[in-house]
Amino acid sequence: MKTLYVEGDTFLHRLSPRAKLLGLAALSLVLFLIHSPAVLSVAALLGGIVYSSLRLGWRQSWLRLRPILLTIAIVAIFTLILNGREDALIVVTRLTALALFAATVTATTSTGDFIDEITRLAMPLERLGLVRAADIGLAIGLVIRFVPEILSRYQAIRDAHRARGLKVRPLTVAVPLIILTLKNADEIAAAIDARGIRAQK
Amino acid sequence: MDIRFEQAEARFEGRTVVHPLTLSLSERRIGVIGLNGSGKTTFARMINGLVLPATGQVTVNGFDTVKDGDKVRGQAGFIFQNPQNQIILPILKEDIALGLKSKKLSKAETQAAVEAVLARFGIAHLADRRVHELSGGELQLAALASVLVTRPDILIMDEPTNQLDLRNRDLVERTIHGLDENVVVISHDLGLITDFDRVLCFHEGRLADDGAPAEVIARYRELAA
Repeated sequence: MKTLYVEGDTFLHRLSPRAKLLGLAALSLVLFLIHSPAVLSVAALLGGIVYSSLRLGWRQSWLRLRPILLTIAIVAIFTLILNGREDALIVVTRLTALALFAATVTATTSTGDFIDEITRLAMPLERLGLVRAADIGLAIGLVIRFVPEILSRYQAIRDAHRARGLKVRPLTVAVPLIILTLKNADEIAAAIDARGIRAQK
Repeated sequence: MDIRFEQAEARFEGRTVVHPLTLSLSERRIGVIGLNGSGKTTFARMINGLVLPATGQVTVNGFDTVKDGDKVRGQAGFIFQNPQNQIILPILKEDIALGLKSKKLSKAETQAAVEAVLARFGIAHLADRRVHELSGGELQLAALASVLVTRPDILIMDEPTNQLDLRNRDLVERTIHGLDENVVVISHDLGLITDFDRVLCFHEGRLADDGAPAEVIARYRELAA
């Protein structure tokens, strides 16, 4: 149950969530239109500079970025094998730049602000009668809040296996994890109802 | 507070969990006891409209739980057995503010309401804390704050001292005793409800006993022996 938000009062913290989200969307589009490794390398470097302005320290930064950087490394290895060195370099620099800028946005925007902004951005869809905008914001908030919770539940099931001397097998972990998660989801849905968070307007 | 059950029955997967019940509750502090599986949690959920009656009717301050669910939930707040599942956002003050969304308050009004409710429970210092860092007692107080910020008339609590250590249990019990709101508390902690105004005892889905705490608790001890 961890949050990636970092308390602070930097320029990026004060910038509106809308500007950050739209800026990130525009930047990702530009990054996918560029095919020059040199330009993409500069973008990744800039991403690194912006991220380091959060002053998280090497260890904390590594812990936060490790999953995405490892994923990028795996994608790069496959690209190197299948498409060669230049394409691999393009993939690494492009995705690294994107990951660093996105991580900066996540670290400087609180979950509440995210939800508010996404709800506002989804309002046109609500006017068309397609969705309830508040539900989209709430769903994103729930994902941010509960994905780490599911991970800690996975660790607890794994520990329970070890404590009983059982081998950790995907099936024997997945089944209780799914059952517990669904049971929890029922409770969370009931809590949302009980707190009137989805009250009709 | 005016809670009325009129031949209200709860069923789950074809099984009757609460048999048809006619009851009126108006006392300020009501305790609900019973063995595991006796139907007390379902009874409490029927008050809040989380469980709708299969037959009969439940009304809270004049609002029907079937027809006016949102209004009922505005009148009756609910604290779950596991407060962890009740807190939806990772930062405490953001989670408490989430409950006020439907009230359409300004940002300043929301902030003032959040600060006031945190101060009321002595947890203002936890406002910016991550929920996963809170202790069991702090979590329970946080859950209280998240519900009471919307100013419900009635607060329903499902085993609020469950799984708490002695210090946290004392803290939560003192807080419950100091509440101004009407409370309906389900508890296995009989000490918590000894000075309540009325105690209901459920057994096998039926209201087995109803009256002053001392007598109901004494008969419950015999039943459980």
